[in-house]
Amino acid sequence: MSNKTSKLDALALPFLIIGGVLIIFAFVFNFTVTPMALGDIEVPEPAMIGGKIVTTTLLLSQKIFFYHMPVAVISMVALAFTAAYGIMFLRTRNTKYDIRAQTATEMSLVFVSMTMVSGVAWTRHDWGAWWVWEPRLITYLILMLMVIAYFILRTAVSDPERRATYSSVFGIIVAVNAPISFMITRLVPSTHPVVFRSDSGLPPLMLIPLLLTILGFSLIAFALFRQRVRARQMEEQVESLKLRLDDLRG
Amino acid sequence: MSKKNDAQQMSATYKKPSTFQHYKILLGKDLRREFRTREMLTSMGIYTVLVLVIFGIALMQAPEKVDILQMAGGLFWAIIVFTSLLGLNRSFSYEKEDGALEGILLVPLDRSVIFLSKLTANLLFLLIVEIIAVPLFYIFFLSGLPMHPTLPWALLPLLVGTIGIAGVGTLLATITINTRGKDVLLALLFVPLIVPLLYACVSATTLAITGSPTLMDAYVPALALAIGYDVIMILVSWVLYDFVVSA
Amino acid sequence: MATKAVPAIKCTDLTKVFGQRKALDKASFELPQGAFLSIFGPNGAGKTTLLRILSTLARPSSGKAQVLGHDLIEKPGDIRAYIGLISHKPLLYLDLTAEENLLLTAKLYGVENPEQRVSELLATVELTSRRHDIVRTFSRGMTQRVSIARALVHSPQVIFLDEPYSGLDPHAVRIFDDLLQKIRLQGVEQRDGVGVEQGDGVGVPLFAEAKSGTPTPSPCSTPTPSPCSTPTPSLCSTPSPRTFCMVSHDMQKGLALATHLLLLERGKVVLFAEKDQVDPEEFVHLYHKSVGMGVA
Repeated sequence: MSNKTSKLDALALPFLIIGGVLIIFAFVFNFTVTPMALGDIEVPEPAMIGGKIVTTTLLLSQKIFFYHMPVAVISMVALAFTAAYGIMFLRTRNTKYDIRAQTATEMSLVFVSMTMVSGVAWTRHDWGAWWVWEPRLITYLILMLMVIAYFILRTAVSDPERRATYSSVFGIIVAVNAPISFMITRLVPSTHPVVFRSDSGLPPLMLIPLLLTILGFSLIAFALFRQRVRARQMEEQVESLKLRLDDLRG
Repeated sequence: MSKKNDAQQMSATYKKPSTFQHYKILLGKDLRREFRTREMLTSMGIYTVLVLVIFGIALMQAPEKVDILQMAGGLFWAIIVFTSLLGLNRSFSYEKEDGALEGILLVPLDRSVIFLSKLTANLLFLLIVEIIAVPLFYIFFLSGLPMHPTLPWALLPLLVGTIGIAGVGTLLATITINTRGKDVLLALLFVPLIVPLLYACVSATTLAITGSPTLMDAYVPALALAIGYDVIMILVSWVLYDFVVSA
Repeated sequence: MATKAVPAIKCTDLTKVFGQRKALDKASFELPQGAFLSIFGPNGAGKTTLLRILSTLARPSSGKAQVLGHDLIEKPGDIRAYIGLISHKPLLYLDLTAEENLLLTAKLYGVENPEQRVSELLATVELTSRRHDIVRTFSRGMTQRVSIARALVHSPQVIFLDEPYSGLDPHAVRIFDDLLQKIRLQGVEQRDGVGVEQGDGVGVPLFAEAKSGTPTPSPCSTPTPSPCSTPTPSLCSTPSPRTFCMVSHDMQKGLALATHLLLLERGKVVLFAEKDQVDPEEFVHLYHKSVGMGVA
């Protein structure tokens, strides 16, 4: 166990601050500069546009997309890290990878929860219902359930080596399952209209806040990850010192 | 020839069985045990009937006009998922009971064979239960309704789905057998993982039952995706199984 | 090909760490073939961990371990055919009959003519009359006897015993002792590639006709045309004597059976020696001291 703070840990705090600033900047940018998807219109009274009753609130709900999409992407990336650390653990049996896998999954849980909240908020305004069995939401719901199951699995195994092995395997399985569920829910035809939004070809003024938000959240996720890992390593050091103390007393 | 001479002759002969022989021996063990105790089959069979009864009562107040054909696929898959959970939980409890699995691990064999034999056993038991469940479901919910000629096509997603359930379930049951509150935990791990497969299979089954005019357009991709799920998930489980069973 | 000098078990700096806990801490020792090693130590000293590593059920974190000259860590599969484990758990399927359990194991190990081998083993453990009964209906002692037969199906050269006496009644303990004595005195047939150097192919029957009830039946007493014609057990146990490795809380049993002693404490080897070179009283004292420490 090394006592020194790694360079990555030193970056954690600045990253946290930069990330926060970026997100705030993107937020302001989003509401001031970025145009609306349907054109820059004000709808003081409910009006019919394209066969739908549209209000300003409804139009503004599209702004949620600028948060929904980045946190969704980051939750997936975090899950990929869970799997990668899981593989490294199974290869090396080094607990440090288990700690990292666990922490990466925590990040995934945080961001997948944010995805769910933003997704439900969006659904509420776009379709007028709190919940719609729509591919995007199903994918994130089961992703969230799997990530929660990962932590319940961890608490249910008492032997530390077995716990690490099982959770590594489960983490890998979840990471493999996530893209499959993403594909199946979109490609399998269902009786519900599948809402595909082509997110490609955004005008630059929309792309800028989106990218800034992704970058900002990534920095925050990284900073949180490093801090959590460091905290866990310190916990381990305390444990080992306790054991050594016991040895000396004995 | 005396007994002692026999003993002497055989004592030096060992021949490491092939992986396929190991597979057959282990599968034979599971089948023999199950057909003797009928532990899984009985419990799964009765459970299936009970869920059917619950569905019947739950749907009793529904108006006649409700198109049961649209719902039948989904209802049937709900039964399969619940029933398989019950069976999968059982399938490893006796392996752990008195260290029997450790006895198998002491043998020089490729440990993923344990996965394949267990998967096959679970698959067979599930299929046997489905042989009971399918006609019962038909009698309880679909008899008297005009059936579409495409109905037999519903059996294909049933088979594909059951293979996937047995595959993922076998890996997860091996994990949860060593955990606290294993029954609940298996459901927690299993259900979210199986959702994509369920999604595809319910879609294909419903299309076959309702005899949708655009059947093949939607049925084929749904089935293909379910098969894709099976292949990927079983491969991953197979690769990871050694770690799980040795832990 | 290995020579006769190949040790049955050789551990070098064997360590098992997980997180901060050290279950085994640089354990090193070398046990010759034919020895009976008793492993002692307080709870949590790493006895079971050591046994599980040596029987390939667990992997060490670092260090080396060899059984009959084969590396346990690199190729655990190679050595599994030559080791057997008798545990306090029976390692059996309770819903299969005694015979089915043994046949299953015999077939998995690839014993040729498994039916014959199984009948022989059932006779040795005196369960021929109950062979078609389901193990669940057996008493603890009978189950343990099936478990012993299970461990011997492939005629292992190294046998690990993990608390074999736990849960046995006095009668079962006596039968177990007799059996242990019996299998100790008998040779192991030769197989290729393992650390035995002996003339070609002279297989010794795993069990010479066992007489039930005799307290210490020696194979030498049976009129088999085997090398067992001299009264000394050491010669009987050629071509390859079995090696035993036992973890037990029963101090007296452990000391009585042992040729070598191993005392573990917090994963470290405190003492490893031949029994003859250790003063039993001193050893008992040492043991109690370490047990006391383990508790404190």
